[in-house]
Amino acid sequence: MERQGYVTDRAVATAVFLATSLGKPLLVEGHPGVGKTEIAKVLATVQEGDLIRLQCYEGLDATTALYEWNYPKQLLHIRMEEQGSVAAREAAIFSEPFLLKRPLLQAITHRGRPPVLLIDEVDRADEEFEAFLLEVLSDFQVTIPEIGTVRAAARPAVVLTSNRARDLSDALRRRCLYLWIDYPSLEKELRIVRMRVPGIEERLARELTAFMHSLRRMKLVKVPGVAESLDWAQALVTLHATHLDESLVRETLGCFLKDEADLRTVTARLEAGELPALSAPLG
Amino acid sequence: MSADLLEHTGRFCRRLRAEGLRLGPGDTLDAARALDAVDVLDREELRLSLRSTLVKRAEDLPVFDALFDSFWGGSVAAGRNPPVIPPGEEEEKESRAAASTRHRRERSMEGLEELRVPGPSSHEALGRQDFATFGEEELRAVTALARRIARRLSARPGRRWKQARRGEQVSLRRTLRDAMKTGGELATLSYRERKLRRTRLVILADVSGSMDLYARLLLQFLYALQNAFARVETFVFATRLSRVTDELRVPEYRTALAELSARVQDWSGGTRIGESLATFLADWPRLLDRRTVTVVLSDGWETGDPEVLGEALATIHRRSGRLVWLNPLLGSAGYEPLTRGMQAALPHLDVFAPANDLASLEQLARHLML
Repeated sequence: MERQGYVTDRAVATAVFLATSLGKPLLVEGHPGVGKTEIAKVLATVQEGDLIRLQCYEGLDATTALYEWNYPKQLLHIRMEEQGSVAAREAAIFSEPFLLKRPLLQAITHRGRPPVLLIDEVDRADEEFEAFLLEVLSDFQVTIPEIGTVRAAARPAVVLTSNRARDLSDALRRRCLYLWIDYPSLEKELRIVRMRVPGIEERLARELTAFMHSLRRMKLVKVPGVAESLDWAQALVTLHATHLDESLVRETLGCFLKDEADLRTVTARLEAGELPALSAPLG
Repeated sequence: MSADLLEHTGRFCRRLRAEGLRLGPGDTLDAARALDAVDVLDREELRLSLRSTLVKRAEDLPVFDALFDSFWGGSVAAGRNPPVIPPGEEEEKESRAAASTRHRRERSMEGLEELRVPGPSSHEALGRQDFATFGEEELRAVTALARRIARRLSARPGRRWKQARRGEQVSLRRTLRDAMKTGGELATLSYRERKLRRTRLVILADVSGSMDLYARLLLQFLYALQNAFARVETFVFATRLSRVTDELRVPEYRTALAELSARVQDWSGGTRIGESLATFLADWPRLLDRRTVTVVLSDGWETGDPEVLGEALATIHRRSGRLVWLNPLLGSAGYEPLTRGMQAALPHLDVFAPANDLASLEQLARHLML
């Protein structure tokens, strides 16, 4: 995984290894921005399979997750094919070419190397959908009334992520292997920054990760994750910064603080000189 | 995999279960399969493999880590990560407590329930109970909880669609099918709407002497639920069964209590759970169907024949969508459902859960969703 630019540790590696060798879905929980989604992307690259992503949201239903008929296409087809019996024409338009495959069906009907199915932020979908998802995940087959039952040729590897917006059902948890990803240690985050932002000066990388760690100890509304560290590092590199100082931090706060109250808190702490790892401003 | 290791894994799973982790036989199997796939001589790999397969939620990680060290003996090899305790967990609790006083109320009620756990009383009727001893604040907390549960139970739009005369959406699928008859001309529009999912609740509450301490809390809960949610039927029993749905459905809680006390004669007598449930089945044969969740509230102290209880529960289980048994004693440490009544009941239950305080009732919502 490391070769794909994903700095990992044994907990993540073991969980991913077991999920693929036991053929079970992997449920990844953790705070926003710790790299949950990345796991699926990297897994797809490592397995040289396609990544199929289903982004969950409230009100997500089967027509957007599984399949939908391509109605305009069906309509055009009926108009063009005026002959033939009703039954024949019906059979024609309710067949695979007229099917719009949504992520779940795509994963099931995928040909070639088994894909990685990423079900992102499953906690945002409602419980109804979760129950439906359980059905699909348990045997990877779907019944479409007009066509019949479609079975997966090769079981896709499944990664589910959750930000714990709501508690997931025990039934879903039971079906999955579980991985909790915490904020990385200082050393690990430093390695991540170095790997993902190649042009960064060593001193800047150190100061930046130390600063982020002290931020995470503060009581913030939206605690910045690794994703924010990387955004910030990228921004600083673009600005040709070689180290952190107070005015630079102040100008770029928006890269890693996404809440107005947090901006005020951190600015106040900066002014009081309470945040460590800052060099004195240069003359 | 060696038999020793397999057995040890099994014992470990049982210990975890005793610590409150919800593990099924399938999870033990997964753990065993996982250990087959990795190098078990590497302690860290052993730990991580068991953790991935046996821990299903972040809250359980510290429990697992503590138990792993004591169970798999010796000190863990160097380089082991410190136990992962999700940060923010504590903050979350703090802010929640600050945001509302609900938390504190729950605590105070827990304390109340820990006072004493009475044993079974065979026939010493303690007379009518004074239910009015509960404070206004607790009453409000229980009511709020019942409303929350009722809201989740009330007709929710399901996932499936049905045809409708005038639905929320045009059913393109149906419209197109109809269009075939007119040679592709869209002559009529068909509509569709979500099927409603209606859950019904049947509650059978034990009000015998051994349930005394809990009866007050539970009755308040039942009263609130009855008034917040239309499709609930409530019965109480000790030695005999009484339907109290209508008594509970009055605007004033205290009036409800007065009517209830007048209607129910054997408050706090002994318990004949099996016979009472058999009466329920005989007198109300049409109440149960696949969309019904049946909830029995009892400590399982049966003074009648456990076999009758077993048979009645088997029938209820077969007829209703789900059978939930709430036992107040299950919440107290060290309780094992060993009474003859409970032993006879266990094989027929879908859910066996505690109900000794507000927190456990809060969990109830999840069991009531069909």
